[in-house]
Amino acid sequence: MVEDAARLMAHVRSKDAAAFEALYDGYHRLVYGVAMRMLNDVAAAEDVTQAVFLKIWSAPQLFQGGNFAGWLVRMTRNRALDLLRSKSYRQEELPQTEPAGEMLEDAAFAHIDADLVRSALAQLPAEQRDLIELGFFGGVTHEEMSRRTGIPLGTIKTRIRAGLRKLRGTLQEAVAV
Amino acid sequence: MTAHDAMLDDVAVYALGAMTAADAARVEEHLRTCAQCRSEYAQLRPTIGALAYAAESCPDETQGAIVAGPLLKARIMREIRRDAAAPPAANVAEMRAVRPIVWPAYAVAAACLAIALFNGIINISLNDQVRQSRTEVAQVATQNRRLLQELAHQRVALADLVAPDSEHYAVDHGEVVRHGKRLYLAMDAMPPPPKGKVYQAWTLHRGATRMSPSVTFVPNPKGVAVIPIPVDASSVAAVAVSVEPDGGSKQPTSTPTFVLKLSS
Repeated sequence: MVEDAARLMAHVRSKDAAAFEALYDGYHRLVYGVAMRMLNDVAAAEDVTQAVFLKIWSAPQLFQGGNFAGWLVRMTRNRALDLLRSKSYRQEELPQTEPAGEMLEDAAFAHIDADLVRSALAQLPAEQRDLIELGFFGGVTHEEMSRRTGIPLGTIKTRIRAGLRKLRGTLQEAVAV
Repeated sequence: MTAHDAMLDDVAVYALGAMTAADAARVEEHLRTCAQCRSEYAQLRPTIGALAYAAESCPDETQGAIVAGPLLKARIMREIRRDAAAPPAANVAEMRAVRPIVWPAYAVAAACLAIALFNGIINISLNDQVRQSRTEVAQVATQNRRLLQELAHQRVALADLVAPDSEHYAVDHGEVVRHGKRLYLAMDAMPPPPKGKVYQAWTLHRGATRMSPSVTFVPNPKGVAVIPIPVDASSVAAVAVSVEPDGGSKQPTSTPTFVLKLSS
């Protein structure tokens, strides 16, 4: 799918609407799912999805190769965080948005599917999983996590790191099978 | 735990995207100078990317997932196709950059005039087409009204002809039917009139001494004709039919094929 996405993006740069539609069909569930998980609002999630895909169309040069899904998710998450800020849904400080140009996601998990990730997440201890989900989908900073849960800041960070490393190991095993 | 272990934890939180801008800036600063932390970040980051798939909505709502509304794609694609149809602004800019043609003012004016004339001709042509279409629509509407009226008349005639209280008077090749105030010629196996001739009906009003001209008609190839006589049947004493020149006559010019006296 990574190769497909790169090829389709090349066509999108030439204003190929059919290629764009293929990208939308392939990735809109990911974008909408992340937006919905973060915003918990159908209209807002659709607005974010629309904004992300229109951005792909208007500025395809922003994608400079690598893991298309990872790039897409980063855009989605940033857009959702922007929306949370603009709507002042929450009083506390939100996490910073990530640089859109970063291409660190490698292709290791490019062929991963939702069931695999959900299964890997389910294998994490709840104390790690909850924090990771809160941080990624909830748009909550580690300081806010500490305030909400009463868990010391250092423990929060340690659990997050331990959870991410375990998650990586599980996913690597699953992909290798 | 060493200070650097704590920094590795920070890197994990940073990779998750769960840091404030100030904390993130501190970690980014450290990443520039620490290979171990850069390696940690590089290892964790793909995991974060994969994490998003846990939220991927499922196309099957029965599996408990929420899917994007069906109109969302239509909304997005409408904008995309609209934009795809227009020439890309960048390309236009490139074309201008490659060929910096400066048109003389008279050429521009001539081009504008040509375009205006062309548009004028197109407009005239379109206006003509619109007028013609409107005329055709009006004609069709009129024809429809006429057909509907004929259909209504035929339905009334049929009802009159089969009404149990209608009066039927046998004549050559058919009958005369009276029902209330309506009067009909119902002809069958009637020979066609000679070339240039038609059949014409005549009515004699009560108290009158001369026949009045009525409708002309030609039976169909099978000799059938159902002709309503436009008259108040209750005021008619007799009916006749004769062969007359096409267009009809003011008074009979031939021996009537029949003359029927109606009962009062």
